[in-house]
Order: sequence, then C-alpha cells, then structure tokens
Amino acid sequence: MKQKVIVGFALVLLIGIIAIMWFDFYKNKNKSQENPYEYNIDKLKVIDPDLISHEEIGQIEPEIEELLAITIDKNDNIYLAGKQKVIIYDNSLTEISSFHIDTTAYSINVTNTGGILLGMLNHIEVYSQEGVQKAIWETLNYDVVITSIASNDNSVFVADAGNKVVYHYNHNGELLNEIGKKDTIRSIPGFIIPSPYFDLLIDSYGKLWVVNPGRHAFENYDAKGNLISSWERTSMQLEGFSGCCNPSNIAILSDGSFVTSEKGIERVKVHSPNGDFKSVVAAPSLFEEGTQGIDLAVDSKDRIYVLDPVKKIVRIFKMK
Amino acid sequence: MAKKEKKKGLPASLPNRQGRKAGLNRRDFIDKGFRFSIAVGLIGIVGSLFKKSQAKEYVWQLDPSKCTHCGRCATSCVLTPSAVKCFHVYDMCGYCDLCGGYFRPSSKNLTTAAENQLCPTSAIERKFIEEPFFEYHIIEDLCIGCAKCVKGCGAFGNGSLQLQVNHRLCVNCNECAIARDCPADAYQRVSIDDPYLFAGFEQKKEG
Repeated sequence: MKQKVIVGFALVLLIGIIAIMWFDFYKNKNKSQENPYEYNIDKLKVIDPDLISHEEIGQIEPEIEELLAITIDKNDNIYLAGKQKVIIYDNSLTEISSFHIDTTAYSINVTNTGGILLGMLNHIEVYSQEGVQKAIWETLNYDVVITSIASNDNSVFVADAGNKVVYHYNHNGELLNEIGKKDTIRSIPGFIIPSPYFDLLIDSYGKLWVVNPGRHAFENYDAKGNLISSWERTSMQLEGFSGCCNPSNIAILSDGSFVTSEKGIERVKVHSPNGDFKSVVAAPSLFEEGTQGIDLAVDSKDRIYVLDPVKKIVRIFKMK
Repeated sequence: MAKKEKKKGLPASLPNRQGRKAGLNRRDFIDKGFRFSIAVGLIGIVGSLFKKSQAKEYVWQLDPSKCTHCGRCATSCVLTPSAVKCFHVYDMCGYCDLCGGYFRPSSKNLTTAAENQLCPTSAIERKFIEEPFFEYHIIEDLCIGCAKCVKGCGAFGNGSLQLQVNHRLCVNCNECAIARDCPADAYQRVSIDDPYLFAGFEQKKEG
C-alpha cells in the first residue's frame, strides 16, 4: 500500500514537472520574445477614413519590367516609362502605342507639341509620338541624376538631384540657366536632397514649383531663377512631411492644390496652394512597406494617377 | 630452399630468410614504418600549426540588411550593456533637422528635451552644424543596442544609423547568445580583418 502511494505520488510529480516544462516552452515563449524597446510606427500609418477624399476607380497594369515614371498630356493621354519601354494609353485606358528605349527612363514629360522628353539618369532623350528618337541633350555637370522634367511653351525644366539644381533649357536643348543654387544675396536657400527624390512641376499659371525635400518645402521660381514664394510643412503627423526627403513626388490639381507622395510613410495627400493639409488620396495600407518613388500625375478632370513602382501598377483616383 | 618455398606457394614479394639483401625483414619493416609514421606525424603537426598561424580569426557580426529591430541585441548579449551598438554611417546621413532616429513622432518641438527623444538612454547627441543641418553622434557608453533609432532612421530617412557588434567590447563567444536568439538570422561569422558589415557607404563611420 505504501509503495503504491509512493509510485502514485512520483507519477503525479512527473506529470506536474512535464506540465511546467510544457508551459515554459510553449506558453511563455511569446512573453520572452516581447520587445521591451518596441518602436511601433504603425499607428502613424493609420488614417482616419473621414480624411480620405478620393476613391479608386481603376488601375493600369502596364507590361514594363521596371515601372518608374508617369505623365499626362493636354489630351489626357497617359504616358508610362521605365526600363527599356514607353507605353502610351488614351483616356479610356486603352493602349495606343509603345516603343523601345535602350536604357531606363526615370522621368517623363510631354511637351505641348507632343514631343516626349525622357530623363535617362544623366541626359535627356527626345522622342516623337511614334517612338523615333529626335535628339539627345547632354548635361554638362558630373554626377547628374535627373529625377523630373516639366515643360511649357518656352522652357523645359530638369531637376538634377545629383547637383541639387534645376536646369532651364529651351526646346532646342540649349541650357539657358541654372535655378536654385544657394545664394544668400538672392535669398535662395539651396536645395537639400539627401536621396534621389527631387520633383518639380509647372502650374496652370506657368509658374515653376520645385520641391526642396530636405526642408519639406515647396519653392516657386521664375524662369530667371528668382525665388518668388515658398512654403514648408515639417511634421511627423499627417499635416506635414517628415524624414530626410519628402515629399518625394508632386502633381497639381486645377485649383492649384498640390498632390504629394511620400516615402517612409507611404501615402498620397492633397495640400492647399498655401501648404495646409487638405485630405488623403491614398492611405499607406495601399502600398508595400518600403515603397519609394510613387510618381504622380493629374488629368484635366482632376483624376489623380498614382504610380506604384513595387506593385507595377497605376491606381486612378477621383474625388468621392 | 627458394625452390622449396616457391613450391610451398609463398608470394615472391614477401621477404625470405635467405634474401635479406633483396628485401626487408620484419624488424626493419616495423622500425622504418615507425620512423615514417613519426615523420609524417611531425610534418602534419608542423603543417597544421603553420596553417593555424596563417588562418584568419573570425568574429561575430550582424548584417544590417537582415535586421528586424527586434530588440534582442539589447537583451540577449552576455554583456550588460550589450556589445551591439548603434553606429552612424555619416556618408548616408541627411543631417536632417527632423531626424526620425532622434525624435519621437509625437514631438511638438524639435528640441533636445528628453521627452522629445526616441532613444531610451539619450545616447544620441544632436549638434547644430549650419542651417538647416544637424549632426547626430552616438554616445557609445550610453547606447544599449535597442535599435529604436535604427528603425526610426530607416523608416523616415536614409538608414544611416545601423546596429553593429562593437569589437572593442565583444568577447567573441563561441556561440553568440544574440545570434542564437536572432529571429532574422542576421548574425554571421566574419573575418577579423573586415569585421564590420555596414549597409551602404563604409567611410566616416563612428561608434
């Protein structure tokens, strides 16, 4: 009898030890793996649905190996460029044509006369609508990194992130002047560009707007390079821009509001012409973490085209 | 006799008692075999010692491109504080005013007030350079390798703040406790001649 008690007690003890070990191995596992220094930036990516002003109405899935740049011409034709290819769609999203290019186009613009300007890292290539190469504009500086092109009837402006300057060309490819170099006498602060995201555009009044990403600023220049006005919004919250270099890309709506895209917290927003935050177009949840270079374009109906280089699609948004 | 042995069917290669001049007897064979073994052994030992003297020593290092900022570099190291520290690769830094590795997202003002700092030990020193540039310097003694700043810098900036095993502090355990716990398998053995694995640029680094 006494022996049975001892054996029973030993069995209970054994089961108890096994239970403790099992609990320690499996139940306490997550507790030991908790990070006491957790830095949760996910809450910054949560957007109040009431702040989202646009809805997605369509997508383009172009067959380009690396999709990098988008622009829209005055007839609302959509031009997409990237590695070795340019594709043109009409405003019903039907592919009109495409053509091969030798290398990668990082930026694209269409002139009012229909010429296609491609920023090929360190030079500009000019193509016809049929894909015939018309000209190559070489740049004079070293370390040129062309990130954006904008044009009007008289001028072509080219953003060079490598040299932190905007080149002002005429339509024959002749360099007229350089814009934005630091000049304390003319109160030009100089561009701060820690990574190759440096965008510009021409608004409906023909004014040149250039992003100064290191300052989270928009700067307005005339063709001679005089700084006319600027605004900046630095904040980790929704109303501003954070990090080393934001906004990474911009576009403009018909009322003069700016559409902006950011890296770090991947989102597309609208800011009023004076810089105040207005609304969100695309929330971070639409993008893969780490997506950079979300290029933007706006058509004549204020539909916003958002290029996602990771998912290789273009999302189209219109106001709700 | 030879004919007799031949008849007995002994192989011709074996030594015979009469043929000492032609081959080895058993004693000579063992003697020479023993000497040969010693010579081979000595050569082997000398060779292995030479090889060992020439071989590179290996140390532990973490690959920043694999790091998931889990915090275990701070908690799993046998040293307290950890031998893993934040290093600043200045060539990659944007010298930002609003530094994602320095400021908490909720910071209302961009000042060095403790409540604005992301680092739990205030191990990052912020210094004004010129408008609008600020330099960030890691105070090694205060850094615990928690990777909060690394995550912030990577999320909002260029990723110039990177965790590395500081080899002035690391005791180079045979089985690194952090490597064992690392969920991203980011730790590896690297040659002591090139013991750091910075992502991006390698110049102007400072611990």
